[in-house]
Amino acid sequence: MNSTLLILLAILVVVALIFIGMYNGLIRRRNEVDNAFGGMDVQLKKRYDLIPNLVASVKEYAKHEKELLNKITELRASALKPDLSVNEKIALDNQISGAIKSMLISVENYPELKANENFIFLQRSLNEVESQISAARRTFNAVVTDYNNGIQVFPNSIIAGMMGMKRKEVFVIQQAERENVDVSQMFNQA
Amino acid sequence: MMSSVNLKEIYRSKLSPALLSLESQRKDVVKRILLSVAILLLGIVAFVVGQQSEYGFIPGVLIVIGAFVSFGFAFSKYNSYKQAFKNKVVRKVIESIDPDWNYHPEACISENEYVESGLFQRHWDRYNGDDLISGVIDKTDFRLSELHTQYKTVSVDSKGRRSEHWHTIFKGLFAHADFNKEIRGETFVLPDIAERMFGKWGQKLQKFSPRGELVKLENIEFEKYFVVYSHDQNEARYILTPKIMEAIVHIRQQFDTEIYLSFVGTRVYVAMSFSQDLFEPRLFRSGVRYSDIEQMYYQFNTISVIVNEMNLNTRIWTKE
Repeated sequence: MNSTLLILLAILVVVALIFIGMYNGLIRRRNEVDNAFGGMDVQLKKRYDLIPNLVASVKEYAKHEKELLNKITELRASALKPDLSVNEKIALDNQISGAIKSMLISVENYPELKANENFIFLQRSLNEVESQISAARRTFNAVVTDYNNGIQVFPNSIIAGMMGMKRKEVFVIQQAERENVDVSQMFNQA
Repeated sequence: MMSSVNLKEIYRSKLSPALLSLESQRKDVVKRILLSVAILLLGIVAFVVGQQSEYGFIPGVLIVIGAFVSFGFAFSKYNSYKQAFKNKVVRKVIESIDPDWNYHPEACISENEYVESGLFQRHWDRYNGDDLISGVIDKTDFRLSELHTQYKTVSVDSKGRRSEHWHTIFKGLFAHADFNKEIRGETFVLPDIAERMFGKWGQKLQKFSPRGELVKLENIEFEKYFVVYSHDQNEARYILTPKIMEAIVHIRQQFDTEIYLSFVGTRVYVAMSFSQDLFEPRLFRSGVRYSDIEQMYYQFNTISVIVNEMNLNTRIWTKE
């Protein structure tokens, strides 16, 4: 066989290997993003599961907060609908976070509720879930950043372009959420 | 934490009289050592001079033996001086931080606890430590001691002579405390030596570790000092919240030494390197110095700094 042909073949094999390596790397990064979003979804669901109990125990003591409680229940119902897009999920999640926070602030006016054991337990569980959600968001942001870097650097960008991979948005974590003990502090100030 | 004014007051009223009473004991030890050295020198001289006659070396040998006996005596005196120092001074310093803390001068963090932490994976050949303190700060129980672990290598030179070398694995303060969140996996926060030495390439090297996946965190300063490995990316971030990362950076800067942390089971383990021996009495200079006591106080208080900075008493999550 002609040696030039051999060399050409060798180059081709190396190029193919590099291509496969980059392709796999990009796929891995994309899967990590999906995986991280899944991890966050699990925590969000845990929070949705807590809401009915929370609403029930608040209702018993805080009769004047009906409107707020109804709003939370409605938001939860919409969040549990199937076929929500990622952006819809994120928007609903933000609204629920806000509503729960306002509820916890208004709870301050009901000392009996604050002393209720069941409520204290729920509050702990909620803090736990909030911390887990916050951690999951940060993981999501880390892998999305990694993914975005991966698809934008040359020569990965060529393959990413061919695969139709687009830049993904990271979560904007609000200042209040950076300090994930925020919720508790409202209680501790009593 | 007690203010320095209060510590000065305690020093003046309790510690300085205790230190003064120990001074005579210290001087006695020093005298014994100097005497032993003098006897040894005399023995050597007698031995060299005695070489001229057949049995002339005998007095020299006898005097050298006497010197060793004297050294042994000095050593036992030193031990009782050390014991008195620990009981009269170190114990008082600890009591001044919290009278309910327990102090065991001879004990240390157990080998099991050391292994449990997973911080140092190399097996040791020598395991020493002392000055164990245990207690509770509000809701957080802890144990802390000085620790020194070493491993041995043996080399053989061209003439076939064997020599042993001892290498330090860890030397410093080793502590662990109850962690306020539930942990399922293991998370390690270690000094980022690879990245400091090799920069970006170091980061590539870091990817390979038996301790779990590399976790990249968003606090740049924290990342400069530490590298994080965990079996669960989410759990690592659940433990290392932005506030906890800041706290760890703060502790690192405050003590200006290498710090190793692990979060395993229900505990947070913290190992801080110190090259000098801690909480030991001075021998060749006066032991009556406020600065020594102050330093000791801050070193013992490390545990309070860790508990407070890391907010371990905040119990708002599912773990009580």
